[in-house]
Amino acid sequence: MTTTMTRATYAATYAMTLCAAFLHFAPNASASDGRLAIRVGRIITNNGPDIENGTIYIEGGRIQSVGTDAGRWDAEVIDHPELVAFPGWVEAHSIRGMDRPNENIEVAPFLDVRDSIDPINFYFEDCLRQGVLAINVQQGSFCAIGGQGRVVKPFGLTIEDMTLRPSSGIKVVATRPGRSRALQVQALRRAFRDLRDHLEKLVVDKKDGKDSARREELFQGRDPDKEENKKGRPMEGDAPWKVKNFETVPRGEVDEKQSPLLRLVEGKMMAFVACDGAVSVVQALEIARENGFLANTVLVVEGDAWKAADRIAEAGVPVVLAPQLLYTERDPMTGKEIETFVPGVFREKKVRFALQSLNPSAQSLWFQAATCVGYGIPRDEAIAAATKVPADILRLGERLGTIEKGKDGNILLLSGDPLAVTTSVEYVVLDGNLVYDRSKDVRVQQVLEGLEQPNAAPAGADEASDVDPHGGSTKEGDTKSKTDKKKD
Amino acid sequence: MGVHLLVALAATLTVSTAPTPAPSAQPVAGGTVAIRAGSVHAVAGGRIIENGIVLVRDGKIVAVGADVVVPPGARVVDYGPDAVLTPGLVAADSNYGAPRPDERTADPFLRAADNFDPYDSYVFALEAGVTTAYLAPARNRLVAGVGAVVKLAGDTDAEARMLRDPAAIHGSIGLDARSAPGYWRPPVPATADVGLGVVKPELPRSLAGAVVAFRELFALAQGSKAAPAADEYGDGVGEELRRLMGERVPWRITADSAPEIRALLELFGKNGQPFVVDGANDAADVADELAAAGASVILDAPIAPNRPGQDRGKDEDTRWPRYDAAVKLAAVGVRFAIAPPRTGSASDLRLAAQLMSRGGLDPEIGLRAITLSAAEILGVADHVGSLAPGKDADLAVFTGHPLSGGAVMATWVGGELAFDADDLASAGAYPEARESAPAHTTNLVIQVDELHLGDGNVLSPGEVLVIGGKIRAVGRSVGRPGGARVVHGAAAMPGMIDALGHLGLEGSQKIPATRFDMTRLVEPGDRVDRRVAKAGVTTVVLSPRGPSRTGAPMMAYKPAGEDLDAMIVDSPCALRFTWTDRNRRESGAALVDRLRKAADYAKKWAEYQAKLATWTPPKTEADAEAKDGEKGDDAEVKEGEKEGDGEAKEADKKDDEKKDKKKKKGEEEPAKPITGAWESKLTLPPFQEARVRLYVLDEDGAVSGSLRCASLADGLIQVTGKRDGHKVELSGEGSRGLVQLSGETKDGKLKAKLTVAGTSASADFEQTATEYEVAKPSEQRRPKDVKKPEIKGEPKAPGIDPELEPLRRAMDGEAAIVVEVNREDEILACVDAFEAVGIRPVLYGAEEAWKVVDKIEGRVAGVLLLHDIVRASPETGALKRNRYAELSAAGIPIAFHSDAEEGAIDVPLMATYAVSQGLGAEAALRALTSGAAHMLAISDRVGTIAPGMDADILLLDGSPLSPSSSVVRVWVAGREVR
Repeated sequence: MTTTMTRATYAATYAMTLCAAFLHFAPNASASDGRLAIRVGRIITNNGPDIENGTIYIEGGRIQSVGTDAGRWDAEVIDHPELVAFPGWVEAHSIRGMDRPNENIEVAPFLDVRDSIDPINFYFEDCLRQGVLAINVQQGSFCAIGGQGRVVKPFGLTIEDMTLRPSSGIKVVATRPGRSRALQVQALRRAFRDLRDHLEKLVVDKKDGKDSARREELFQGRDPDKEENKKGRPMEGDAPWKVKNFETVPRGEVDEKQSPLLRLVEGKMMAFVACDGAVSVVQALEIARENGFLANTVLVVEGDAWKAADRIAEAGVPVVLAPQLLYTERDPMTGKEIETFVPGVFREKKVRFALQSLNPSAQSLWFQAATCVGYGIPRDEAIAAATKVPADILRLGERLGTIEKGKDGNILLLSGDPLAVTTSVEYVVLDGNLVYDRSKDVRVQQVLEGLEQPNAAPAGADEASDVDPHGGSTKEGDTKSKTDKKKD
Repeated sequence: MGVHLLVALAATLTVSTAPTPAPSAQPVAGGTVAIRAGSVHAVAGGRIIENGIVLVRDGKIVAVGADVVVPPGARVVDYGPDAVLTPGLVAADSNYGAPRPDERTADPFLRAADNFDPYDSYVFALEAGVTTAYLAPARNRLVAGVGAVVKLAGDTDAEARMLRDPAAIHGSIGLDARSAPGYWRPPVPATADVGLGVVKPELPRSLAGAVVAFRELFALAQGSKAAPAADEYGDGVGEELRRLMGERVPWRITADSAPEIRALLELFGKNGQPFVVDGANDAADVADELAAAGASVILDAPIAPNRPGQDRGKDEDTRWPRYDAAVKLAAVGVRFAIAPPRTGSASDLRLAAQLMSRGGLDPEIGLRAITLSAAEILGVADHVGSLAPGKDADLAVFTGHPLSGGAVMATWVGGELAFDADDLASAGAYPEARESAPAHTTNLVIQVDELHLGDGNVLSPGEVLVIGGKIRAVGRSVGRPGGARVVHGAAAMPGMIDALGHLGLEGSQKIPATRFDMTRLVEPGDRVDRRVAKAGVTTVVLSPRGPSRTGAPMMAYKPAGEDLDAMIVDSPCALRFTWTDRNRRESGAALVDRLRKAADYAKKWAEYQAKLATWTPPKTEADAEAKDGEKGDDAEVKEGEKEGDGEAKEADKKDDEKKDKKKKKGEEEPAKPITGAWESKLTLPPFQEARVRLYVLDEDGAVSGSLRCASLADGLIQVTGKRDGHKVELSGEGSRGLVQLSGETKDGKLKAKLTVAGTSASADFEQTATEYEVAKPSEQRRPKDVKKPEIKGEPKAPGIDPELEPLRRAMDGEAAIVVEVNREDEILACVDAFEAVGIRPVLYGAEEAWKVVDKIEGRVAGVLLLHDIVRASPETGALKRNRYAELSAAGIPIAFHSDAEEGAIDVPLMATYAVSQGLGAEAALRALTSGAAHMLAISDRVGTIAPGMDADILLLDGSPLSPSSSVVRVWVAGREVR
């Protein structure tokens, strides 16, 4: 459908979308090029001063104007002077929303989280409810190299619908529970050593005139005659080690299991490196330096990693903080408790940091940002740590994080201040489509008003059935009641 | 060690050790530390320097010796003449690298250094004097990985802490390595064509197999044609081994049994690679072969501390633990180190060395095995292991020789204090002790040749462990918990007791009422009091200078107590009566009357308690009784003072009315009680300006307390009076006459006029405290239930009579009654009268007690004789009579008392004199300590050296029974009196 959206069709789409919010029907295709004007009491642009009583005009999924311009006359209008418009929160790293994540294959740079993201996972529904509009899903927390992540929107029927940025980065795990640090570091070193060995072997084989790599290329389904596969290039990137004469090898002949790691080493892929402590940080940075991907590294830090904040600042990499913002330890001598507010440390050391939710429904990004404010971080910086900074880290700074012209039409309509506990997300507009309406959110209503589950048995059903009060109904009882009913 | 701790240490040390070494052209005196100890074991060259100094600058040792010139401005740390200073201990093995093997049987890629966490705290190792440790990469593999040697304190930069990496190719030829599980890695992807594969068994399984495997690995490393396929041991293993061997990294191979050790000697004897035999439990059997091969050995003590017993197997050839390796190796000249047990922690290093010393290892060789030898074998002797100029300033300070039970006092790493036992003792070691003990109490072990427990027993040698101001353990040898200071001496005994003294009365002749709280008289921190304690009299039973009709209160207190709680042992601990009346016919009548009253009173309480015990409270609603409860409380208080009952109520009412009125006016702030301390300056001609301190308790307008001012009296003036709203009237008897104070409180200040002997002056008091701590009732005898809301049918508490209460306590044996009585017949009458109410009195004076010893024996708590210890009389001729000795011999407890203030210091001399005149020395000692304590019912806290008692201990330079011995050091509640 390419017709302009009238109020009637909007209303239909609106109703349909609302119903769909929890069943994840795809929004009406017409919405993608629909025109939408959102008129609210306050626009928090997150990029300059707030605008009172302003209008956001979205067309073709992008914000066309922010201010007083109402856009085209035939645009649909959402008019809520009591609400506050806010850009969506951005989750820089998440291990949720997956059906079967890879946690088995130790070194798996070739795996893509595309294969495990589950669009109907409740996680995404919760993200909408909490106003998290972009999520970087990364698998493989218990691997050495877990696979490629993906930045998705929390709405869409297919993964392609949801995708904001495929191959957002490779998950690298510097320490993992139940395994010694040395073994893990050794596994990582081995992975890069294997890459190097593979590439060197390709060069030697090419020199020796062996064609096994080409045959493997065909077997793996790549087209050797395709221009990009045919060409050989010298190895790029900052890695201190270089494979000589690598330009002699057509790029298509690099094994598909190794090529994502090569992209990482050449600086064309991000690395999300999970570190559970200060030592891991030091080791992760060392491995990144040794293999030339320090510039495209993001550290996902936990525990006492903040103790290595100096090293992180020196390396100039951004960090994604663990949901637990307070670090508690005991003085080894006196046994006294010492608390450290982790974001405060990173802020002081001038390290760019992004926040992470604890789980879909508790300590979501707004709460984390509010906690930061509570501990003395300036409000704009706290909000940025859950909007602009993660957007930049995910290389989506051009599209997300603020309400300004040219960015994605993602708007939260909030009942109040974004950091207030009493505020709720009333509406969510994603790419110019209204995808969430709290008043129609059945699950919220169930929680707040104690409504029945839609597919639960009706209220009176129990009276008729012959339920054993001690242990549920027996089969015999069931049949009995059925027969009784028939008699009636 | 955590960053914060380092920062804290650096701050306390004020040693400015910059991360980068200061330029040598400008030596900073502030960065120089001179560490002094009674004996310094340099280890290198076996040097032991008495009263040595280690001079440290910028984390390095500059000089070691007895005659080192300490540069001006250097900080001097003196650990005292008993301290033993050694190099920081080197743990030749440790689990700090969290050793966990990889799947493959040979994995030289696994680096222990990767497991080192410089952000972690190694406080337990430092606490044991260990400053350097080898990190095992893994165990239980032929080649488990590459070891590293690190320092356990210092920078958070791992590289700065790394002494050597790679330090060894760590492996094992032992049984543990010959049982590696199978190896399997699933293919990715596994398809119909590519199977999942099977688990590949990993070799070797036998010792011969292990030898073959090592040969194969060597061949692989040399790239020789005899080498097996590379993938047999994993990709790149050969190259990595070649690289390591090229750097001449030694092989460190665990071999416990003699065949294993022989196999190693043969393997490495052939290929010439440097190697170290690790474990070597049976090294004694192959000592000569090891010596011939010039091998180095790291001995592993076969113990598993902190674990249950281990079954090792019942077969003939099962190897059971042996501890004889070190002695044998030392005898044949093999270089060896002793490592902490593999199954323990690095902090067990000294224990391991002590165990391995069995069979008569020289302690100096033992020390070398955990310092220099270990450092040499690990290849870090250029930095650590001995005290020599140029080496790192890693030191450990012990209270005795580290291999003969000395405890760690301090550990230094890189010239900075990394562990201080004092911090541990005061900070975290014993939380329960921390609460009860005054701050900075050191855990203490007093080790003496003769320990007199006070009850007549002597331990020789003996030790006392003091924790948190209390005696924790007593014995010939007690534990030495972390942070305990050890003090050596010739003899020790409990602090002595002055059974009846006046220290604290400040010359007062007043005899206070029974209900008077004696704790008001004393304040901690008095200089004279401390001197008395320093002389050995740690407890004084303070008595007024005479008895009273209702019983003068006596209080047991410690003159050197640090605070009021530590100071007061019991108050009142006794009542002092006199039996004798001027009119002898009336003798005892008043006291007998009082005892009868006390008996009635005690009976009431006993009845009440019996009723209460059988009464079960009805179940009622709690809220209805809240108000009743308050009433009940009031009633009960008043019952104690029945006479003033009605008046008090009226007064209360008036008070209430007044309060109400004031509230209605709403202008003035309500009058507050003036309880607490008030201070001011006072100029009263002809005296100079003097400080006035008023310390009072205000109970609903009834004010009592003390006033101290040099211009008004020499000592404390007991003042009483009242407060009516804001108006305060107080008066008391000072040494210059009646002192009157009248004033008004306003805005938290007290404007008052003080009058003494006709002259007056004004003073503006400022409140310095709002609490009147000394006025706390000394003993709450109320059963806890009394405070609960009154419930119908609940037995009513009889109320506490402060005059009779001590008598009641005496009947329970919780307090003492001192009765002044001299004549034989009166003594008997007195003892009879007290026996009737179940009290064993302490007879004071008791001139003729010796005549009736057989009649009063067992019926009196003791006798306090007057000070003429020996008496000569015409009847006895030249024979002098020692009454103390006679009574003591008859089994009647005696004690010594001063009847003076600071004259309490003469009490020990009295005992010495009594001994010289025939009193048994042991009996004298008992009379000074436990005898007096038992007699005065304070033996639950003082008088003996026993677990749970207050740590009031005297250290003497000779036997306490010898007149030539003197008190050298004194501890009161675990704190030394200085």
